[in-house]
Amino acid sequence: MSSHRTHTTRYRRRLTAATATVVAGAVLAACGGPSPAGPAGGNDAGGGNAAATENTGDAAGSGAAGGGDGAATTANTTSGVSEMKGTAAAGATTISFWQTKFEDYQQKWFADQIAKYNSSQNKVFVKYTVVPGDVFETKLKAAQQAGTQPDVATTNYGSISDGVAQGKFAELDGKIPAEAFADIKDNVKDFVKVGDKNYAYPMLVEPSTVLYYRADLAKAAGLDPEKPPTTWDELIDWSAKLTKGKVKGMTIASTKADLSWSSWGLQYNACGRLPISDDWSKAEATSECYTKLLQLYQTLFQKKYMPQTPKVGYPDAAPYVNGEVAMMANGSWAVGQLKDAKKPELLKNTRVAAFPSVDGDPKKPTATLGGWTLTVDSKSKNQDGAADFINWLLASDPQRMAEFFKLSGYSKFTVRTSVDKALASTPEATNDPFMKIINDQVVQFGKQEPGYPLDISNAFADAIESSMKGKADIKASLEAANAKIERTIQQQRLAGKGNG
Amino acid sequence: MTSTTQTTAPAGAGIAPAPAGAARLSKRQLRKMHSTPKHLRSNLTAFLMIAPLLILLAIFVIWPLVYAFYLSGYETYYNRPAEFVGLDFYKFVLTDPLFWSALWVGLKYSLLVVPTILVLSLLLASFIKTLSGKMAAILKTTVYVPAVVSVVLTGLVFVFMYQDSGVVNAFVGMFGIEPVAWLNNDSTVLAAISVPGIWLGFGISTLIMLAALLDIPESYYEAASLEGANWFQRTWYITIPMLKNVFLYLLVTGFTLAMQEYLIPLIMTNGGPVNATTTTNLFIFNQFRDTSAFAFTYSITAALILFVVLGLLSLLIFKAIKSDKAVDG
Repeated sequence: MSSHRTHTTRYRRRLTAATATVVAGAVLAACGGPSPAGPAGGNDAGGGNAAATENTGDAAGSGAAGGGDGAATTANTTSGVSEMKGTAAAGATTISFWQTKFEDYQQKWFADQIAKYNSSQNKVFVKYTVVPGDVFETKLKAAQQAGTQPDVATTNYGSISDGVAQGKFAELDGKIPAEAFADIKDNVKDFVKVGDKNYAYPMLVEPSTVLYYRADLAKAAGLDPEKPPTTWDELIDWSAKLTKGKVKGMTIASTKADLSWSSWGLQYNACGRLPISDDWSKAEATSECYTKLLQLYQTLFQKKYMPQTPKVGYPDAAPYVNGEVAMMANGSWAVGQLKDAKKPELLKNTRVAAFPSVDGDPKKPTATLGGWTLTVDSKSKNQDGAADFINWLLASDPQRMAEFFKLSGYSKFTVRTSVDKALASTPEATNDPFMKIINDQVVQFGKQEPGYPLDISNAFADAIESSMKGKADIKASLEAANAKIERTIQQQRLAGKGNG
Repeated sequence: MTSTTQTTAPAGAGIAPAPAGAARLSKRQLRKMHSTPKHLRSNLTAFLMIAPLLILLAIFVIWPLVYAFYLSGYETYYNRPAEFVGLDFYKFVLTDPLFWSALWVGLKYSLLVVPTILVLSLLLASFIKTLSGKMAAILKTTVYVPAVVSVVLTGLVFVFMYQDSGVVNAFVGMFGIEPVAWLNNDSTVLAAISVPGIWLGFGISTLIMLAALLDIPESYYEAASLEGANWFQRTWYITIPMLKNVFLYLLVTGFTLAMQEYLIPLIMTNGGPVNATTTTNLFIFNQFRDTSAFAFTYSITAALILFVVLGLLSLLIFKAIKSDKAVDG
């Protein structure tokens, strides 16, 4: 215990000093004066999950807050953090829950459900806090250092294995019923596992790559909108035919920040794996199968079938919504953007399909599945209560999550078989023009996001971008990526840490 | 003299008489002070005056710097003991082609931005100097406006200007040139992001340059004119030498800040295409965003190395220009 405390204290000191140091180091030589430069700031290009985290500071919702009594109220801080107030019933255990801020409807859904949970029993009282996405990690780190970390927090799939390695999450087997884990779809089960233990309960998945296309433009170009392209060659052919005047045939990622994660699904499609051996001991970026993938990106860019200077990042559907492109590769979240665009004609003319496959095989993965889970902190003193809340919210009544997916406009997808059945009996869900196609043709074959360091994804993204923009030919680009991955393996001692 | 006044002050006037011992001590002190050379007494006063700043500097700059060096020797984990790695990370950073590429990008960006700003500022300041008071005031305000515009906003506006169908391509289209992917082309991107950098920086440089120009005695120019010197000769032999210290200041601060630029490339290109605009600070920033223990130590080490590089660069500029303490005639 003492040793652990010493390590923790040392870690806190180091973290605080290091953060101050990097900032101080960056400004050390800057002594004012005329500047072609500007103040610090930044944005995050995201990765794998593009759920919006708009910081509007709005209220988290209302409803009966319980563990027994009281109406819920919200309090906003200047940083955009919202807290739902309420009073726990006598004897109830209070647990804190931090949620990354997503679209407004999600905050409302969480607040309503938490109010219901608090009213439904008097043993556990959930204190709900919404934290903007851009400060979530920083606030969580600060809270962990101060020992005030939440009992339950939203965690994305990609952070689970590293978090478990650092001892951040409590094991949930035995705290959440086994049948709840059995309800998770087979291709998602492993996302929340490290070894054979479960450390999170999944909420949803969002496939990273879906093909959206305009049926009216396809028809005008002499293409059959009911038979979308199924191979990469056909996709290039469609892009060529749909490029007319200022309207480009296609938009797809073209910068490192976007390519690093949005191409994972297509890497799987091209080679059946990622450019590193399963145990992360060897770089495998020079495999011949990746040549086709780089050719796809290169042709689309160099033939000018896609915008040459993207205004927005990959997750933003604006170029398609504004009619600048006829086809778009984007994640399932773009469905929400299309429905929110208030352009009924565009929506009527939009079709979705699985992104084409290298050889036309529809069963090959074309997307990775990003998304969110709830985790219990390993230092929580109320792990059972926290797990009970997660079980109630995400793993029990299928109608509860079915309602959530309805609110999302069916732009996000369930990870539970029972929720699928509930949705199947909902006319609105079955009539949705996009949901069934994405669920059956994309999500079903989707792969888990890799847990390896970003440097590896960036190395391969550099290869794609180099060949796209003519900085190096495909062979040289892949060789450079291979060398960078080898270097990362050695420096970060990754050999043997891979999990297949 | 002050000491004498103090020791001979009358015991009255509300001040209790000093004990005999204290009076003897005062005399010793007096003797000692008389024996202390005047320049040493001045130094003591000077050190006392700068002590608050030195203490603050030690707390907020020197100590973090020393601690950063200490941290760069450890890989630090959340709930595991930190692991001593010696100078491994210095080797990792110094052998990383991307780090060197980022330094080179920063240097190229600085070479595009800083001299351009200096030349533009000198020309504009010379022009403003010739204007009437009211016109000069209007122009001074106008050129300063970019300095108060948000860098983020500027970056975004320029992104839209460089679009396939943006105003820049519309302009070059008037000469029959096909639209250029300014921000997605290795050969044009650095120049393209330098333009907002110059636009943001040249206003304040112009004002500094103008202040220095106005400080040059007009009699120098009158004498030169009498000798038949033309505008070029007056500029070359009077203006530029007299602005030497201002040039030095603008060069050192300009290069230091331009080498550290990261916001403009972050907003406009995210460091691309293929790292063509990844400056050193953007490189460090991207590393720091990764939450792994490796990235943590790596970014600290890279920041320390950048600090050394910037220090050397400033030293080089000082040496090259051989600044005089005062050349004010």
